[in-house]
Amino acid sequence: MLAEPKLKTFQELITNASREELIWMNGFLAGLVLGESNGHSSSGIPAAVKVNRISLVFGTETGNSKKLATDFAAKAKKTGVNVKLTSLDQYRLSDLAREEYFFIVVSTQGDGEPPGTAKKFYDHIFREKVQLNKLKYGVLALGDTAYPLFCKTGEDLDRQLQILGGTRVVPLQKCDTDYAGDAGAWFDQVMNVLSQGSSNDVVLPVIKKSKHKKNHSGTIITNMNLNDRGSGKQTHHIEIEVEGEAEYQPGDSIGIVPNNRKEIVSAILAVAGVDGTGTVEYRDERHTISDLLTGKLNIVHLPERVVKQYAAIVKQEIPDTRIDLLDLLRIYPVKDEIQFEKVLEVLEPIPPRLYSISSSPEAHGNEIHITVAKDRFNINKEEKFGLCSDFLSGLEPGTSVEFYVHRNLNFKLPAPDKDIIMVGPGTGIAPFRSFIAERDATGATGRNWLFFGDRKFTSDFLYQTEIQNWTQTGVLSKVSLAFSRDHEWKTYVQHRILEFSKDLWSWISGGGYIYVCGAREPMSRDVELAILQVISRQGGKSDQEALACLEQLKEEGRYLTDVY
Amino acid sequence: MAEKNNLSPVERIKKESRGLRGTLKESLKDELTGAIREDDQALIKFHGMYQQDDRDRREERASKKLEWLYSFMIRLRLPGGFMTPEQWIGLHHIAGEHTTGVIKITTRQTIQMHGILKSHIKPTLKSFNTLHLDSIAACGDVNRNVICSAHPKQSPIHAEIFDYAARISAMALPKTRAYYEIWLDEQPLQAEEKQKEEDPLYQELYLPRKFKVAIAIPPNNDVDVFANDLGLIAIVENGRLAGFNIAVGGGLGTTHGNSQTYPRLATEIGFCEEGDVLLKLIYTIIGIQRDFGNRSDRKLARLKYTLDKMGVENFKTELEKRLGFNLRVPRAYRFTERRDYYGWQQNHEGKWYYTLFIENGRVRDDEGTSLKTALFEVAQTGTANFRFTTNQNLILSDINAKDKAIIDTILDKYGIIDNTRNAGAVRRNALACVALNTCPLALAEAQRYLPSLITKMEGILEKYGLQEDEISVRMTGCPNGCARPFAAEIGFVGTAYGFYNLYLGGDRLGTRLNKIYKENLDEVAILKELDELLAVYSRERKENESFGDFANHIWVNEK
Repeated sequence: MLAEPKLKTFQELITNASREELIWMNGFLAGLVLGESNGHSSSGIPAAVKVNRISLVFGTETGNSKKLATDFAAKAKKTGVNVKLTSLDQYRLSDLAREEYFFIVVSTQGDGEPPGTAKKFYDHIFREKVQLNKLKYGVLALGDTAYPLFCKTGEDLDRQLQILGGTRVVPLQKCDTDYAGDAGAWFDQVMNVLSQGSSNDVVLPVIKKSKHKKNHSGTIITNMNLNDRGSGKQTHHIEIEVEGEAEYQPGDSIGIVPNNRKEIVSAILAVAGVDGTGTVEYRDERHTISDLLTGKLNIVHLPERVVKQYAAIVKQEIPDTRIDLLDLLRIYPVKDEIQFEKVLEVLEPIPPRLYSISSSPEAHGNEIHITVAKDRFNINKEEKFGLCSDFLSGLEPGTSVEFYVHRNLNFKLPAPDKDIIMVGPGTGIAPFRSFIAERDATGATGRNWLFFGDRKFTSDFLYQTEIQNWTQTGVLSKVSLAFSRDHEWKTYVQHRILEFSKDLWSWISGGGYIYVCGAREPMSRDVELAILQVISRQGGKSDQEALACLEQLKEEGRYLTDVY
Repeated sequence: MAEKNNLSPVERIKKESRGLRGTLKESLKDELTGAIREDDQALIKFHGMYQQDDRDRREERASKKLEWLYSFMIRLRLPGGFMTPEQWIGLHHIAGEHTTGVIKITTRQTIQMHGILKSHIKPTLKSFNTLHLDSIAACGDVNRNVICSAHPKQSPIHAEIFDYAARISAMALPKTRAYYEIWLDEQPLQAEEKQKEEDPLYQELYLPRKFKVAIAIPPNNDVDVFANDLGLIAIVENGRLAGFNIAVGGGLGTTHGNSQTYPRLATEIGFCEEGDVLLKLIYTIIGIQRDFGNRSDRKLARLKYTLDKMGVENFKTELEKRLGFNLRVPRAYRFTERRDYYGWQQNHEGKWYYTLFIENGRVRDDEGTSLKTALFEVAQTGTANFRFTTNQNLILSDINAKDKAIIDTILDKYGIIDNTRNAGAVRRNALACVALNTCPLALAEAQRYLPSLITKMEGILEKYGLQEDEISVRMTGCPNGCARPFAAEIGFVGTAYGFYNLYLGGDRLGTRLNKIYKENLDEVAILKELDELLAVYSRERKENESFGDFANHIWVNEK
């Protein structure tokens, strides 16, 4: 019915639309047909009222949301708007019902989870029947299109606030990892609303179309388990020779999409009775079934939403649980190849995994190094390995890999003359190897202090000989080590931090930067507590003052974390 | 007062060490490495330790960006090789907690343990200290562990003679308190107490090289008395200890390709009565070596070179001058054997002794025999002392008749009795040093390899009906001579990985050195040579002629 160009536009519009959007469009179009309104409606909105007081909250994981929110707050203040800037984990939930202008910057974790700092808020608005009739809000969602549930937390919050009676005054903006432009545009809209007063009608949600990230390819040139024989751990140092140029800075990560194990793919094909060489369409591209299962589709530990869809296809009752595709096919077999192809359609892409880069552009030229711990865990007493670490640790030199660079603007070296304190036990050492090599290569004059720890000195001292060399040449001014399994008593990095509190305080109070990388729990929490103690003991401060001091360090970007 | 102008680097390290302290404390504190500083590596020997690394693992660890796998060997000072059952129990636990777990009995009658990480040295030495054990002067340029004929059945006055081992050791102990300060956290002496550390024997430079003292009780030369710098041969007359014949200048260490080095048996220079005069004599001999020994070339620094450079007569003159009296002429005695007395034996008082065969002195549990567990159980009964032999075996000692059955049951339960009984004649008399993978000097395997070589030799011995012949076979991984290969009937000295020089013609009593027969043989060549040699020996030997004596006049003497 539509002419070709119009049809194309229309199809483009609906292809990437969510169900809610389609419903909205449906209603909007119906409204148009009925000649009620023109879409950017204003059904009895009061005239522009200048708003000069807002709340801006953020839920952050890697610090990007926080950085954005902080920048926005500064900008808004310059225009005379009074901004109450709060991290969601500090936000008093009872204030919500009284809020008027309320803006959220929030990221989404791996499988659609809210970031740790937003969890409490998220649960609150989903569990409590709060009435938010006064609320005028907008949500900026950060995410990564490489994950199946892109920006899910932002979407959830945006929808739920409306259900609770809030009025969306700025459309939801979803941003990919290169968020700067879209986020800025969203904030311009916020400022616009503030200067004009609100429209209490819904505005068309702006959906960021998923752009293709810049993918690089490279060749594995070294893949070495750094842990010695007899270690309970397996940590691979992997060197990738990059084809062309992949620009990055110390502190950045790379994202890699792992392949599924070949034997599992074969088993799936066998159980389903399907020929892997046949081709199917998946998200606009044709692949052989075999390639699709090997390199594109997540087939392990399927989320419940996928299991539900599977159940619908095979028309069987399947309990709500996470399960591997192979097990599903064995227990609830597909009837025929057609059903199997339907199953393929509902499977989600393999999400990429991020690894901190452990090389430095200045020191290691056209190579990117990563430091990958092979994850081991038990499910029903069966030893399993993390998909990506298993994939990476098995890559032979000469294999080619694809990856993209993931910027981490919040984990960057300071000016060359600043002192830095690096706390990076286990694979947390990765970005610091990059930092130190970079500072070595560029002749940065600031002092460098490394805290490293692992299980055993003899088998688990990652990059030992390099650290020895950097100490001998003086790039590393101090190295403090904590090996937890060398003695009956367990020593961790936080113990060494406390032991050196006097020196540490002099570094901190002299303008030093603290970086923490590695496990979020319990390491980063224990380290933060130790640093607080250093501040209170050595700085002669009360607990409250120490907290404030740490907050200030964070505000100034002098206490930075990259934890997982 | 020789070669003062051109001191070897170790002399400088000793001189600047402030009583063997050096920078050991700083080295211990350095968390980045499992090694200690280079100069400290020379000094730590005086504290009874060697820094080693697992040489098998160097390359692989380097690729993992890990430094070499450094660890330390700790050797105890254990005069005469005696330990109480309580001390053995403690040792057993220390071995389990801090070392590779293997308790190694050495050719100098003591215990050494390997694989101790730098951070474990202090806890290990502290634990030893609570057992009244130490490692002071167990290595280094000092008087080493004093050895003594091990078996109390040897003589009714064994205990009296044995006691000299501890007396000599105590007399020749360095006076520095460094060991106590560094390892046991003792406070440094106050300035006014400093004279307690004055050391008239060792002074600032200690000795030019190690110094070994052995006491033999004829007729058994189990200690290889002539392989020592100073050998004391007990002279028992009318059932009482008259004194000792004094032999000086023994030592078996050589250096490949250095023709100035050679093995040498000690020369008997006289007789000395027992008592304090003997201690004074020993003290004086050590003093002469301190003053006349070569301090510029460590390879030529042992007493044997000092003695040969001075001439035996001049040495004796200097000794008598310093002593203020003349030595008497040596007394008569006779060695008839050089061996351990395996199995159950009784001494003159009726106490029981069980000598166990322990291949290469390695006490551990393996598939065949749970030796370590068995000995632990024996020790827990509290009824047997532990004595170590210079052939790396163990004598469960001083057992009352009523306790014999218990010990026997335990030994039998763990297969120790069978193991001792079934060890072939060659195997139970063989010696091998540590060599690869821990000894930094090793050029070839020894203790890890000799057992399998002996298994192959046993086939040949059997072929010629020689399986009961107690031919002494000794192997070292380098020419330094730790397992006394030059005093064996068949000696193997490593030259490169998998290659050995073959020495023949030593006697069974340790009174004649062997000579080189063939160089650089691999296993195939070794077995071919032995097959030919043993065939000739079995056909042509005179009655009761040992392989060493036969080889000496047939093959090596005319060379």
